[in-house]
This record gives sequence, C-alpha cells and structure tokens, in this order.
Amino acid sequence: MTGTMADPLSEYDTPACETLAQTVKKSLRTSDSIGISRCLQCGACTSSCPAARFTDYNPRMIIKRVMENDISVIEDESIWNCFYCYTCHLRCPRNNSPTQVVQVLKQMAINKGIGLDRLKVLFGYGDTFAEFGVSKIPDLYVGRMKDDFDIRWHEFKEDLDSVRSELGLGTVNVKDSGRGEIRAILEGIGFFKRQEKLKQMARTKKPIFESDTSNESGEITDEAN
Amino acid sequence: MKQIENIPDQGILLFKSCMVSVEYPGIESSTTYAFSKLGIDYLVSDEQSCCTGLGYYFDLFDQMSTTAIAARNFAVARKNGYTNITTLCSTCYAINKKACALLNSNDEVRLNVNSVFKEAGLDDLVYEQNSLDDVDNFYHVVEILLSKAKEIGRLNAIDFSGVRVAAHHACHYYKIQSDDMMGNPNHPLLIDTIAKSCGADVVEWYEDKTLTCGAGFSQIHVNRDLSLKVTRVKLESLKNAGVDLVLHMCPNCQIQYDRYQPVIEKEYGTKYNIVHMNIAQFVALALGADPKKVCGFKTHSVPLDDFLSRIGVSV
Ligand code: SF4
Ligand code: SF4
Repeated sequence: MTGTMADPLSEYDTPACETLAQTVKKSLRTSDSIGISRCLQCGACTSSCPAARFTDYNPRMIIKRVMENDISVIEDESIWNCFYCYTCHLRCPRNNSPTQVVQVLKQMAINKGIGLDRLKVLFGYGDTFAEFGVSKIPDLYVGRMKDDFDIRWHEFKEDLDSVRSELGLGTVNVKDSGRGEIRAILEGIGFFKRQEKLKQMARTKKPIFESDTSNESGEITDEAN
Repeated sequence: MKQIENIPDQGILLFKSCMVSVEYPGIESSTTYAFSKLGIDYLVSDEQSCCTGLGYYFDLFDQMSTTAIAARNFAVARKNGYTNITTLCSTCYAINKKACALLNSNDEVRLNVNSVFKEAGLDDLVYEQNSLDDVDNFYHVVEILLSKAKEIGRLNAIDFSGVRVAAHHACHYYKIQSDDMMGNPNHPLLIDTIAKSCGADVVEWYEDKTLTCGAGFSQIHVNRDLSLKVTRVKLESLKNAGVDLVLHMCPNCQIQYDRYQPVIEKEYGTKYNIVHMNIAQFVALALGADPKKVCGFKTHSVPLDDFLSRIGVSV
C-alpha cells in the first residue's frame, strides 16, 4: 500500500475541482450563497480584521489569490492567523466570506501535510470525544494554561467534581446507555479513517513550516487515550 | 430577524456546553436558577453531547462529522419533546444552526448521515427533512433572557445604579448567521438591554465593541502573543470607558477575559479594575441567587468579592 489512505471525508470539505474558487464554492464548509466571484476587492474584510491589524495576514489578498487560482496560497503561513471571528463574513458587501474560504484552504493544506505540527496535538481529541461526548482542550495547551493561571484555577480544577455538585450539577460526560453511539457515528462517517491518515502523514511527512509551540511534548503522546 | 414576541419559553432544551461545564459551571446553574424563577419550561439532558465546535474550529473536525453529531443531538431534543435548542455558548449556537440548515437543504448530507445511523443500528436517530427549522428551533440563552427583561427588572433585588456595565457580545452569535440575530449586528444590544432593565449604568458603545475577544479557538494556544494583543486592545478600551463589569454570553470569551486579564496585567505591567461574568450569572444575582452556591464565582480568575460587597451582596 502507498502512503495515503482513502479519505472520503475530504471530498466534502475540499472537493477536487478545476479551480480553487470552485472547490471553495462546492465545499460543505462554505455557505451555498458564498459570493467569492462577486468580490470587488474593496478591502472591508481586511480593514475590519483583527489578524490583519496585528500581522501581515490580508484576507482581501487571499481572496484575490484564490480567484487567480494561485495554489501557493495554501502554503501561505499567514492564513493560520485567522481568528474565525467572522467579522469579514459580516462586513463583506458581496456576501463573500474570507473566513470560510480560509477554512477550506487550511483543510487543503492539511490534506497535503501542511500544518500537521499544529494539528497533531489534537489527535487525542477525537477519541476523548468518542468516549465521553465532550470536547477537551489538548494536554499540551492545558500545560500552558497551568503556567499562565494562578492557584485559584489549579485548586478549582482539582476540585471540579465537588464544585459541580455544590452547584447541583451532574457529571460532565454524556450518557449513551452503553450503545457507544458517538463512536459508532464517527466510525461510520469516516472520521477515524481520516484521523488515521492524518496521523500517518504526521509521522512520515516533514511539516513545511514549524509552529512556535512545536516541541517534545507536542509529539503524539496522547494517541492511546 | 427574530422578533422578541416569538421567543419561546416552553420546550427549551438547555444545550450544555463543554467549556461551561469545566471552566464556569456556575453559568449553567445560574441559567437554570433564572429559568426556574422566570417560569421557563426547560430540560437538561445527559444524553446530549458537545457540539464538536472546538474540534471544528481547531480544523480537526470536518463538516460531515460535525453534522452527524448535531443530528444525534437533534434526536435527543426530539425524543424528549424539547425542541427549542437553546445554547449557553455562541459556538454551539452557530454550529447547530448550520448543521440543521445543511440537513434540511442538502439531500446528500442528510442521506449520508441517516445511512450511517441505520448501519449502526441507531434508526431512532434518523433525521427527517425539516423536522427542525434552523431559525425557529435554535436560540441562545441571552435571547430567552432578553424576552423576559421586563420581568427580570421587576424582580431585581439589587441596586446596580452607578455600576458601569458593558457587554461583549459573542462573534459566533451575531456575525455568522447575522440575519437571524435579535437586533443590529453592527451594534448588538441584547445584553445591554437586560442590564439596563436592572438599573445598571450601561455603556452602550465603547471603542472596538464588536472586536473579537481574541481567543480565536486555537489562537490563544498556538499564537498566544497575537491572541493576547487583541484582548489587551479591548481591555484598554473598556478601561478608557470606565467600565466596572463586563457581561459575557460565551464561555470562550469569558475564559479569554477573566482568565487572561491577570496574565495581560502581568505581561504588560498594567492593571484593570474590571470584573467579568456571564449575563446569566448577572440575572441570577439580580433574582436573588447565592453567589457561591448558584453563581459559582469561586471558579473565576478575577475575584469578585469586592465587586459583590460594593453592590451589597454578602459573600
Ligand atoms: S469585503 Fe468582500 S468584497 Fe470586499 S474585498 Fe473582502 S471579500 Fe472582497
Ligand atoms: S474571521 Fe479571520 S479573516 Fe475574518 S475578520 Fe476574523 S480574523 Fe479576519
């Protein structure tokens, strides 16, 4: 077998099309009415964008490059600065959505093994979700939060169950009557297959750019969770 | 645009939030306290799972997986007869709305999700087209509270006069499906209106009111400096506006402000005399809730003790 495994899910978020703009329009991640072809390069997106305010990221330019079918845009590291705040989506006078476009570009990047150094710390997420039905901040990030926050937070985290019961709240995890519903759904939909492919790529491919948080503990240690 | 007279107070599935559950559980208990006081018919179900929103915006979850998980939660709502899905978190709100719209309008998505359910022997989860409406069946807690603002004002037991209050409305509530939000997405006032009904001195506009909190899902973890720069800009403008209390409607924003305010103070050598809470915690307080046993302020990073004694609430 070759390195890449079948991944039916990528057909939905990043359908193979003749042009980047067509992929964007057809992607399930973008709205049916997305007005990317109507973009008039007015720059309202960039002027209201928090990422553009502090970095060299420029959503208007990203749209321009997509319309010019410049595939190198998926390797542009600046797209990873988007906050997904949807301010551009709200402000655009042509019903375009730079943030949705960027989400598709990032999925295309990930399919090529770009940015996996950021993604691999999340590989335990799907399994936790399948088992407990809740999202959990990845351990690497929690470690950083521990450094950032004071003793009050540490104590409360140790004490979460009793804090919750004092407030009259039950357990955090989902009850699914032993049917393993969430795991079965994610299995059937192809989520784990896709995740396997990404894990394999993360092991074999050298990421094209390094993120500043990539370090030893960023390795795929939580795989077995 | 949703109209206030159409906001339901019956059949509410209070949709639990992963970040509320583990960071600010007092938001959930304050909401149920306020709902009970206001005679709102709601249900919390332990079968409901998280919406996958964090995974989706961490670029890990794809749209199809997210939609399938949403369809399962819609079945939980349907089975229990509580089909007005009402979220504590703005990401849950937008994720569920989008999933519902897709299931109704995209046959391929619906058929695919349903065939996965059937193959797994979970036929009771199958989603019938248009069994939920992506506008009429999805709410944020702040909308329910806004629809009861007059009553909240009438029952309010606290003197908030002189307390400078400002709102941070959550981006994913009003910027994604902006046609459906209550009010003007260029100047959201839902939280402001509720706070006003309780007699607070509301600062309706401050510089950058509609700027993101800065959390940006993975940004606070992967691009920490950029993330904190944005948060600092907002804290500065709140400080310039003389704000004492910022009210939130999303646990992610609340983490960003309440947990990181002390971090920013340390890193930038500055000081903010600003406290944070969720609008539901504010309403619960107004309706007489115990700050410890209901509002759960113990889990906050910026201590509220001084603020509470200023408004005459004993801690
Ligand atoms: S705001 Fe819309 S139309 Fe204007 S440049 Fe940005 S994407 Fe194009
Ligand atoms: S969603 Fe991204 S591109 Fe759009 S305004 Fe926010 S940070 Fe900028």
